[in-house]
Amino acid sequence: MSCTVRIPSPLRSYTGGAARVPGEGGTVEEVLAGLEQRFAGIRFRMVDEQSRIRRHIRLYVNTAEVTALSHPVKTGDIVHVICALSGG
Amino acid sequence: MTLTPSELSRYHRHLALPELGREGQERLKRARVVVIGAGGLGSPAALYLAAAGVGRLGLVDCDRVELSNLQRQVLFDTASVGRLKTEAARDRLLALNPEIDVIAHTLTLCAQNVSNVLRSYDLVLDGTDRLSTRYLVNDACVLLGKPLVSAAIHRFEGHAMTYLPGRGPCYRCLFPAAEEGVVASCSEAGVLGVLPAVLGAVQATEAIKILTGIGEPIVGRLITYDALELRFLELPVTRRADCAVCGECPTITAPSDAGDEACDAAALAQVRRLTAAALDGLLASQRTRDTLTLIDVREPHEFNIHHLGGARNIPLGELERRLSELAPGRTPVFLCRSGRRSLMACAIALRRGLEAPAHLEGGLLAWAVQIDPAFRVGPG
Repeated sequence: MSCTVRIPSPLRSYTGGAARVPGEGGTVEEVLAGLEQRFAGIRFRMVDEQSRIRRHIRLYVNTAEVTALSHPVKTGDIVHVICALSGG
Repeated sequence: MTLTPSELSRYHRHLALPELGREGQERLKRARVVVIGAGGLGSPAALYLAAAGVGRLGLVDCDRVELSNLQRQVLFDTASVGRLKTEAARDRLLALNPEIDVIAHTLTLCAQNVSNVLRSYDLVLDGTDRLSTRYLVNDACVLLGKPLVSAAIHRFEGHAMTYLPGRGPCYRCLFPAAEEGVVASCSEAGVLGVLPAVLGAVQATEAIKILTGIGEPIVGRLITYDALELRFLELPVTRRADCAVCGECPTITAPSDAGDEACDAAALAQVRRLTAAALDGLLASQRTRDTLTLIDVREPHEFNIHHLGGARNIPLGELERRLSELAPGRTPVFLCRSGRRSLMACAIALRRGLEAPAHLEGGLLAWAVQIDPAFRVGPG
């Protein structure tokens, strides 16, 4: 399954500044694993050692909130990574 | 509260809107709004709320105007540099609209004063640049039953969401917790000057809608804005039954400053704080140099601009997982831009059992000023 992953501003240092990167996988877990292979360290910024989504991160597939990494991803989906921002 | 002849003239374009009209304008005149942070977001929000005729506008900030603020904080001009933000802002807002009251709250919000400050207002706009204040204000608004319009910015991206008591999720439902330092601030990562204009105007729009009872507020809808793609996105947010403050069994029943677990004062007392001169002295001798491991906890793009010789880059967000990479028997010395993230790194190291970590006080900014003027620290 080919999808697009939207990278939030605070994590774009991992993707060379890219706001959108292609993703592969049938679940969010697989998509994140693919990202980790290309952008080492990025998965840990979203998910902790127990594979729980970090509390300052939200993941969506299109407009559906992801509560478990087994959430399915279909071809053409957009996976949004939303990160708390602190600036004012 | 009726409108004076000059107000009828001043607000003519509002009065011409049937949705708002005279009744809406009178509601705005009766309204009391407090803006937390007279910064990038607070500037446009306060200007538009003053122009719109919000009768009482409170401003909370403890800082003075700096030259680097003027790239985005349109409340201030060059002559304001060095003045208290609250006082300079009051002068500017009253010059724009002398028919309103502007209250300057020159203070740092904390658990002791937040309820007193917010209690006398009808609506709260949060434009702070500190995560701990963001949670403090959210919790106080939930506990006091005050509407809260939140926004936040970073580089080219912004978020906005509104909380209405009993009607939708709060900021803690959106992000249950976040550690300061793990989420980069604008002073470290930079921000496009015009970005907060968009989000601050969204906040003012929400405030006016809520106060006058028109339209649909962004309750349960997170609005994200990407300036580079010029794209707004709306994502649903639901109330969390287990939310620590607005959930069914809340554990937060009073505002607290204790949100920042990593900055535990007792733990941080064990941190060795090195001045730039002290670190320079340690690095000058091979004998002492070999007892240290320099860990630069900035983001890779900051590290790549310039870093100290021999320093390794482990971004703060990865540190917890990669602590095992630190050489045993050596003192880790954490480095960052200003000394804030390096202190957080010390807190993480202490929590994971490392003894006596050190950090460069004042960060690489201090290093550039005191030791090596050719050291390039950026972006800031």
